[in-house]
Amino acid sequence: MRRILKKGIEHKKARWGWFFVLPSMAFFAVFSFYPIVNALYTSLFRKRLLSLRPPTFIGLENYEYLLKSPDFWNSIKATFIFTLGTFIPILVFSLLLAAFIMSRKRFQKFFQMAFYSPAVLSSVVAAAIWLLILDPRGLANMGANFLLGTKGVDYKWLASANMVRFSTILVYFWKYIGYFTIIYITGLASIPQSLHEAAKIDGASGWKDFWHITIPLLKPTTVLVSIMSMLQCLKTFSTQYLFTQSGAPLEPINVITLNIYNTAIRDHNIGRASAMSIILFIIMLFFTWLQFKASRSGGEVDYM
Amino acid sequence: MNRRSFFVMFLCLVIPISLLVGKTIELQFWTHEDPNRTVIENRYIEEFQKMYPDVVIKRVTQSSTKIQELVLTAFAANQGPDIFNMSIEDEYAYIVNQRVASVNYEAAGYENKEALINAYLPGTLDPVVFEGEIYGLPLEITNWCILLNKKVFKDAGLDPEKDYPKTWEEMVEVSEKLTIREGQIITRRGFDFRYPYYLVAFIPMVEQLGGKLISDDGKTAIVNDEAWLKFLDFMAAWGPNGLNLGSPTYKNARSLFNMDNNDIGMCTTGLYQLARIKADNPAFYDSREWMVVPFPQFENAVNYVPAHYYGHYYMVNVQKPKENQEMAWKFIAFMLSHPEEYLDKVAIIQPTNELLESDTFKNYPYSDVFISDLEKSTVVYFSEYSAKIQSLVKEAVESVMLSNASSRDALNALRRKVQEVLDDQY
Repeated sequence: MRRILKKGIEHKKARWGWFFVLPSMAFFAVFSFYPIVNALYTSLFRKRLLSLRPPTFIGLENYEYLLKSPDFWNSIKATFIFTLGTFIPILVFSLLLAAFIMSRKRFQKFFQMAFYSPAVLSSVVAAAIWLLILDPRGLANMGANFLLGTKGVDYKWLASANMVRFSTILVYFWKYIGYFTIIYITGLASIPQSLHEAAKIDGASGWKDFWHITIPLLKPTTVLVSIMSMLQCLKTFSTQYLFTQSGAPLEPINVITLNIYNTAIRDHNIGRASAMSIILFIIMLFFTWLQFKASRSGGEVDYM
Repeated sequence: MNRRSFFVMFLCLVIPISLLVGKTIELQFWTHEDPNRTVIENRYIEEFQKMYPDVVIKRVTQSSTKIQELVLTAFAANQGPDIFNMSIEDEYAYIVNQRVASVNYEAAGYENKEALINAYLPGTLDPVVFEGEIYGLPLEITNWCILLNKKVFKDAGLDPEKDYPKTWEEMVEVSEKLTIREGQIITRRGFDFRYPYYLVAFIPMVEQLGGKLISDDGKTAIVNDEAWLKFLDFMAAWGPNGLNLGSPTYKNARSLFNMDNNDIGMCTTGLYQLARIKADNPAFYDSREWMVVPFPQFENAVNYVPAHYYGHYYMVNVQKPKENQEMAWKFIAFMLSHPEEYLDKVAIIQPTNELLESDTFKNYPYSDVFISDLEKSTVVYFSEYSAKIQSLVKEAVESVMLSNASSRDALNALRRKVQEVLDDQY
């Protein structure tokens, strides 16, 4: 009787659960799942954006073409250089900044706001601001010349291959560091103070406390930040798009998303662009799975 | 007939009639931003709506670099505007994919196709002719010459009337004299190219040397390697790793020119720039401290090739109802019946024989320089894939200018990529 009653309550709870989840499920189905399935379907066709003729089924030809295309492999390379160059520094520096802010007794809110503010800017506005800074006559050259004690050197922020890669990384780092710092601050705040106090009583130094208590207990936050920042980096688009529109060379920063855009909008080849987006989706899925797997290898974190 | 049947019949008759009587035709008209044009075209809309009270025209402007993708995505979703205009390199795909309607001669005020062709300068409608039909009416035909700031020349001790560059080699020499640098950073450029527009202003340089982008039969990419290599070497020398005379990463020269801030000596542009100088900086315009000179040639050019001309054509969406299409052509014809005002207020050339023979055109400043180059010019390369091919040429030029790629490597990569595009078409 009690089992039946319990089942009934759980059943009711589950029904309410479904009810609350339904709007987001519907949203996901329409705006995420349907486009993925549609892109997968379109990737099997030769389809032109403007053509009114029915698309031709070509099976896996688009994928075959992409895997043989040096331009696509260049995009893979550009995406990985950008992702590694951005998400590792973001991961390290956002943790350090969070620890720094948490250690302050005053101005904590001010620092949080100051670091977070670039994240509220749209990527297009952020890139436009940086275009002015990186202009040969802009602040970046002035600052670099001042700091390095040089005179009139053009550091070619948008012109040379390596510098334009560095510039895109710089813009992204500046824009997102505050966002991930806030996530780390939340993670740090959730570690019970009693653990730090116990360590202190046992004679642990500040560094040992940070290394042996804070870092291990921050594992769930670190996994979250690393997955989120990696996915953000793999999806990067607007900075590279605006830079190339302003004269920067395409090849070093032709990330997969930019290649997808150009293939669809400039070349009108929506079938091939869809195939590229499916490959990007698989790459993102694989690395997310890999990070989850790696994070589970050391066991679960429990504060109790 | 009982009362109920009578009532039903009455409704059946009255409702469709009232719908027809009260039906308003709404025309969506998308075009690129041009403040001078906006003023006169908004007035044309008001006048046209007075002539046809059942017509509402909504004119929407987009930036000239964004309109291509907005129109494209709208058409891809079958939601394109009734009327639009872009450059022919971007519009041609709409013709071959049968997304635009052929000109309704009667609605456009012509007796037939021949009457329309005869009204325009020979050849200027050719880019919009497909399978014997005409698919657009020209808002403007534009060719580019060199606009020069006399004050910058005088400041460098040069006489603009005598010392203006006639060849690309002279362009390098003169630019060296006009350029001011702080270390490696250029604070005043003598001249700089219009980098995104490779088909209009860069391909003619290759053609001057005897090269071609695509063979005459349209099947082979890159004709005459020697000409291409010489052109790419010239561009590499121009860039920051060579003589450091300019670069695509500096603010575009044409936008700076109007301000007369002593940061640019010369730029490549069309007649329309004169109206923009007048609007942006009337004092500079009135000072006449500027002049227009022909597009330079290489010293050992084998062909005389000025910048290619391009056209912006008004087109009509074929997916719209017939009555919208007819009204759209009437409205386009109404706007285009003011070519002298377009020239006077916007400085764009509508290539009607009537305008080109008018005193308004002949007396317009430097129209003789532009028309002299236009007569020797040919239309810009256009195909369904011209946007892609343009970006491939851009990639090649930038790789030699900015990434230190050798001209040979850049050319081989360009050939491979353009050939792939061509092979995809056949």
